Parts: sequence; C-alpha cells; structure tokens
Amino acid sequence: MLNLMRLEMKKFHLGSYIKSAIIANFVILGFLFMILFISKVEGDPGLENYEVALSVIDSFVRAVFIIFASTLIAKLIIGEYKFKTITLAFMYPISRKKLIAAKLAIVMLFTFCAIIISNAIITTIFCIISDRFELIPDVLSNSLIIQHIPSVLMNAIAASGIALIPLYFGMRKYSIPTTIISSIFIVSVTSSNSGNFTLNDIIIIPITLAIIGLSIAYLAIRHVEKVDV
Amino acid sequence: MTYIVKTNQLTKVYEGKEVVSAVNMNVKKGEIYGFLGPNGAGKTTVMKMLTNLTKPTSGDVEIFGEKLTDQSYEILKRMGTIIEYPIFYEKLTAKETLELHCEYMGYYDKQEIAHVLNLVKLSNTEEKRVKDFSLGMKQRLGIARAIITKPELLILDEPINGLDPIGIKELRELFKMLCKEYGITIIISSHILGEIEQLADTIGVIKDGRLIKEVTMDTINRNQADYIEVIVNDGKKAAFILESELKIANFKLMDDNSIRIYDSTVSQKSLTKTLIEHDIEIEEISKKTSSLEDYFLKLINGGIVHA
Repeated sequence: MLNLMRLEMKKFHLGSYIKSAIIANFVILGFLFMILFISKVEGDPGLENYEVALSVIDSFVRAVFIIFASTLIAKLIIGEYKFKTITLAFMYPISRKKLIAAKLAIVMLFTFCAIIISNAIITTIFCIISDRFELIPDVLSNSLIIQHIPSVLMNAIAASGIALIPLYFGMRKYSIPTTIISSIFIVSVTSSNSGNFTLNDIIIIPITLAIIGLSIAYLAIRHVEKVDV
Repeated sequence: MTYIVKTNQLTKVYEGKEVVSAVNMNVKKGEIYGFLGPNGAGKTTVMKMLTNLTKPTSGDVEIFGEKLTDQSYEILKRMGTIIEYPIFYEKLTAKETLELHCEYMGYYDKQEIAHVLNLVKLSNTEEKRVKDFSLGMKQRLGIARAIITKPELLILDEPINGLDPIGIKELRELFKMLCKEYGITIIISSHILGEIEQLADTIGVIKDGRLIKEVTMDTINRNQADYIEVIVNDGKKAAFILESELKIANFKLMDDNSIRIYDSTVSQKSLTKTLIEHDIEIEEISKKTSSLEDYFLKLINGGIVHA
C-alpha cells in the first residue's frame, strides 16, 4: 500500500503540490494581515484577541486545504477517469480497490498533514510578527496555545474526511470543475465566519460531514471491481 | 492443442443493445491472431473484456486456462496491452513512463527500457515528454510499454493506426519476431485487411458483434481458386461454346458479358482461339486470383462463401 502511494505520487509529480501548499500558506498570511490592516483603518474589531486570531487561522487553513484536496481528487481520480488513464491503471496486476484506496489515502493524509503543518507555520509567523509590532492588544499565553492544539487536531481529522465529499459530485460526470466547485461550496457553508461563529463550531456538523465523506469514499471503492471502464 | 484465450458465448449488452453477441474465440498458443472487422463491430469491446476492463454481461473468458473473475489480477502480469488507442500520463517522459509501468507490473529489469525503445525505434527520445510525441510515436511507445515486461500474451487494438508505411513494415517485422523468438501469442485487431493478411496465422472476423468466421490463413490460401475472366460481347453464346467445344463445365456466367472459368487445365490461348473462331468478340481476357479481400468483403457484406 505504501509503495502504491509512492508510485501514485511519482506518477502525478505530487512534489509540486508541496510547493503550492507553501505558496498557499503565504497567501493566507497575507490575508490575515490584510484583515488586521483593514480593521485598523475601519476601526472594526477584526482580530481583537489571539483566541479569535488562532481560530480564524485554523478556519482559513482548513478552508484552503479542503479546496486543495479537491484539486488532488480531481487529478488523482476524476482526471484518471476523464482522460481514460484509469484503463492503464486497471490493467496492472493490482486490486482496483487497493489502487483507489491508495489514492484516497494520499488525499486524506495530505490534507491532514497540510492542515497541521500550515497551522503551525502560519500561527508561528503571525504571532511573532503581531507580537513584535503589537498588532493585537492581547497577550499570547501558553495555555491558550495548549488549549488550541486538540481543537486543531480534531478539526484536521474532520477536514480530511470532509475533503472527500467532492469525490461524489466529481464522479457523477467525471468533471474536474464540478469537483472543485463542490469543495468551494462545502467550505463556504462550513467555514464562513459570521460574528465569530461558524457551522464548524457545532461539533456534530464537522463530524457528520466527515462521516459522509468517508462513506462516499467507501462507496467509490465498493463497486469498483464490477464497473466497466 | 493449447489455447491461450478462449471465450465462451461472450456477450456484452450496453443500454439494451447487444454490442458483442455470443462470441466463441479460440486463440492458440504462439500464434498471431488477427481480429478483423469494420469500425464499430465490437473489436475493442471484446478486447476490453479479455483484459478484464469491461465485464461480460454473460458468457466468460478463459485466459491461460483460467476463468477471468473480478479478482483476476495476477493474470494481468502476463499480458501486454494497448486498448483503443495508446493512453499515457502525458506529462511523464518516455523513460519515466516505462519505469513506472515496470514498477506497477512488478518487473524490475531497468536495462530493458533502452532495449525496448530501440526495438520500436524510439531511442533518443527517452527524456522527451509524451505530450510532445506524434501519434505514430505514441503508438510505438505504447507497443514498447506493452512488450517491455515480456508478456506471454499481447493484446493490441489497432496498433498500426497513425503509422507511416515504413513504420507499419517495421512493426510487422517486430510482431513476427516477438511471436517467433519469444513465443509470444499476439491478438491484433485491425479494420485494415491487408495488414492482418500479412501478419496473422488465424483470422477471426467480427461483424455487428458476432464472430462470423474463425479460420486459419492456411485454409484460406489452400482454397483460394484462380480463374480466367473473359469479357465478351455475347456471354450466353460464349458459354455455350465453352461447354460444347472446349468441354469446360467449371465456369460461371457472371453477367451478360463476363464469364469466369475455374478450370485450370484450359489455356488462355486455346480459349481465345476457339471463341474467335466462333465469331465472338473478346474485349478482355485475364487471369485472376480471387483475393483475400474479395473473400472477406463477401463475408462482411453477408455473402456466403466456403473456404
């Protein structure tokens, strides 16, 4: 299975996705400072304290990497069907189930790791800069960070499951745009922040969505041996 | 007789329409099996079922003596294939394409890559990306990929599409060599009769999803009759003279003007002489070999021929 994942990554040059993920991190940072800047100019309470800042960072990161995951799904699975390269993949002496499972594992693992690592990187850079220039009136405490870690972990796990939902929409007509647009839709519903409240905060919602995502993945695998390609 | 591939009443229905109907195909070990049929006859669908890509609606496929099931993965190791048209991960280079293929197939002789590229005359393109390849080059690379793991069975769907005449000839030699020297059984489909004729040991003709004939080239060659065709001004009269004067019975009046004489003992000279003596004008006289093309055209157009 690990070897299969390695081969899939080699096949699609997924190394370049790491580069894109790093760029995405900088874009998120840019956005955060923009929020700070605009709220200062407008006199709005933007990121009034570190608690809010941390949760906004987490929301941002998850949103970005759920969409990111959909591009991976588009490339690894939808694209293979669309461009018929799946016929090649299915002519290897490898179980179809295993092959698709390896692809989905890459998507989930990538999403999970990207969310954790990006959270760490962005939070660190953001806090150092805002602390240095006193952009946020609050003081960052260790206890706040320690409190924040389990929620980031939980959210990352849920997001890895949610990230699989676009697979369902994409597979219907083997459409890459549908895959990506559905992920944007999911993100805009779950992560949009109004008055420091997102749907994601109601714990049952991310969990349910993650379960839906995993069920979709299961359904994708279940009949794969019976279908014609 | 060992059969590498046998299908038993193989049938595929797409959306209520039978695209392959009760095909019983028998491919012997070590032969080149030409799979001939017009476009849309069901060749690709049959080949997809042989490679387990598409599942039969009814009937079954036996390869290497084993029935294909949904779980028949190991068997794929022993096959090399091109289905429909050669498909690649276009961003990879030729070398990467073959390397990856070998890894997926569980074949680890990396030196084979240069060798096989040389066989299909694609040396010096190792580092070139597949998306920059022409159709002919893609066909060659597809063949390289299919043969690199030294499979026992090669299934090639229209492998000569997009190739120039020299390329076709080179590949024909290559296929013959693979069959002879490596003992690889090859199933090759084409809608171009001339190609199959020069390659195949056995020909299967498919039309509208039905395998209407499966026959060895030997049998066909043995039964191809030569004939003399005479075109005259009065066919009926000429026919009468042939019968009464030359005592020929084995001929056929094709229409009012042309007669085909299948009797090989009669010479063109005596034929001309006799006909002219009886005041019959000869517009044309020629010796013809009824070509394989005629044979298959008749088959495909629904005529009944005996071979």
